[in-house]
Amino acid sequence: MIQRVLRRSSARDSQTGGDSDANTAVRLDGVTHSYGSAGGRLDADRDPTVIALRDVALTCDSGETVGLEGPSGSGKSTILHAIAGLLVPTAGSVEILGTDITRLSDHERTRLRRRHVGIVFQRFHLLPSLSARANVALPLVQAGVPRSTRRERATTLLSDVGLSGRATHLPSELSGGECQRVAIARALATDPDVIVADEPTGELDTETGSTVLELLTDVGSDRAVVVASHDDDTLAITDRVVTLRDGSVMSDGG
Amino acid sequence: MIRARPLVRARAVAGIALAQLRRSPGRTLLAILAVGIAVLSVTLLGSLGAGVVGAGEEGLDTAGRDIWISGDPVDASTGPAENSIVGSHEIANEVSERGDVTGASPIGMHEVYLGTDPDELERTPAVGVQRTHEGFDFQEGGGFRTPEEAFEGGRSTDPTTEEIVLDPAVASELGVSPGDTIYVGASQETAPGEEFTVVGTSSYYSQFLGSETAALPLVDLQALAGTTGTDRATFITANVTADADRDAVRDDIATEYPEYDVRTSDEQIGAMAAERPIVMASGATLVGLAIVGGTVLTVNLFALVTYHQRTELAALRALGLSRWVLAGTIGAQGLAIGVLGGLLGLAATPPIVAGLNHLSASVVGFENLLHTPPAVYAAGLVLAIGLGTVVAVVTGWRAGRYTRIEHLDD
Repeated sequence: MIQRVLRRSSARDSQTGGDSDANTAVRLDGVTHSYGSAGGRLDADRDPTVIALRDVALTCDSGETVGLEGPSGSGKSTILHAIAGLLVPTAGSVEILGTDITRLSDHERTRLRRRHVGIVFQRFHLLPSLSARANVALPLVQAGVPRSTRRERATTLLSDVGLSGRATHLPSELSGGECQRVAIARALATDPDVIVADEPTGELDTETGSTVLELLTDVGSDRAVVVASHDDDTLAITDRVVTLRDGSVMSDGG
Repeated sequence: MIRARPLVRARAVAGIALAQLRRSPGRTLLAILAVGIAVLSVTLLGSLGAGVVGAGEEGLDTAGRDIWISGDPVDASTGPAENSIVGSHEIANEVSERGDVTGASPIGMHEVYLGTDPDELERTPAVGVQRTHEGFDFQEGGGFRTPEEAFEGGRSTDPTTEEIVLDPAVASELGVSPGDTIYVGASQETAPGEEFTVVGTSSYYSQFLGSETAALPLVDLQALAGTTGTDRATFITANVTADADRDAVRDDIATEYPEYDVRTSDEQIGAMAAERPIVMASGATLVGLAIVGGTVLTVNLFALVTYHQRTELAALRALGLSRWVLAGTIGAQGLAIGVLGGLLGLAATPPIVAGLNHLSASVVGFENLLHTPPAVYAAGLVLAIGLGTVVAVVTGWRAGRYTRIEHLDD
């Protein structure tokens, strides 16, 4: 039922560069990150420093789907945020398509994320007052894409994720699985090279979750997809599973 | 294909804001009403202020008085009704003899008791003037003129003309009309001894002073009050010749009579308004409260909406939307609310002003109490846009604060 999702644009690769392997979309090297190092005015108020990641090394090639597993607090979400450029690690490098995003300014990082990274959240985070189509088109607003083009693209993406008949529905009129498929379509709106998904089936029942996973597998055929999950069914669709514990990589490819 | 286009972004932001407003009609209506009421309070109180000043100006203009001489009130609480000018007729005559003045006359004010039954006398303010004029716009009957004989051989300590003009409401309450006689006196004890003929009814001085006021010859009022000897008055008003400079005449007279305040009619309006600080402060407070109330309600409403959408805002920020675009979607809603509420307030102003004018005319006899010059509408519109902008800036700024990764985990 689910059709093949839009192809990547070939011109995009020329926008980034570097000396990484041509097929490696994501590369983390020696990444360490700590939270809470900046304390309050008084010693008693100072948060203890929490090491979220310790010397993490990780790669994900285009067309590969990598799973991140581990208990809560093991660093899965922090890795996803680092890949998306939502945080800059305390130490180490994070390369997206050969560009070390830790060396970029906040503005440059946002621009790179907008062009090359799509994010799928556990709780969908759709704007409740906008239709499914308008939610999918939102990332294109920032790029200044004209309205008619935005609509056309959002309609195509919704059709690709099997929701052609739901374009004008509000999130409140959609099931959880349909909302997550809208969120995936939204993540694909700017045709990104890398998709990060944080517990994409965490809010869904098994049957609905499998539909979403099928879609993610399809999406990952020509993109780098990094999925964080506790769920065995979700991890089963990945090409490789990286196990984390206390911020360190315990195994890679298990 | 994809490139920055601020106009496209702005249109999209407006579209998203409109969608948000449309999806929550109850919330939108409440916010519009809050702004509308704030604007309405400003336009209505502004209309009232314009009406009061207008009435004062009309009164002064109709009286045709260019210069006003008054004494400093001995006791501030008694206001301008204190008859602190002594020898008023003599001063008026001296001022009249100036080459740049066409005429001058004293005006006195005093509380009197009047009625048809000696046991049921009513206390009311009275104004003593030499004669009535066309500005009185008599509802019934006519006016009076103090005959020259009243001034010959020294003014009498007893009323001589014995004519009075009543406020229509007072005349109606007493059941009298022109031609009837009533008792008038400075006290309840002396009033039954003095009979005056009602010659007409007019609300001229009532509108001018703000309460139901009677008018009678000044010499008679002085006789009733027992101030004939000292010849006390509240004001002396004067007209200047057509080619005279009012400010120069004012300065000349002020030099000549340093113990009194000398003002032009424009200054007199300001001075009378300044003598009612509590009324002015109450009006200003009401306007202030309405503005602050409307602002706080609307800002709070949208701040709450923004807070509820903090995870969505943070998610959209994570997807690459800029802080300004996200703040714009919230801020544009505030601006739209401000403008719509403002238009509602302005549209509601004329019918409510008409209704209040009708009410004031039928209840207290003041016609056209509220005036609505264009400046009143302009002030309302400026407030609406200003309020909308404040709401937009504050809630937009709040939205910007929520576009952080921490809120993704909420």
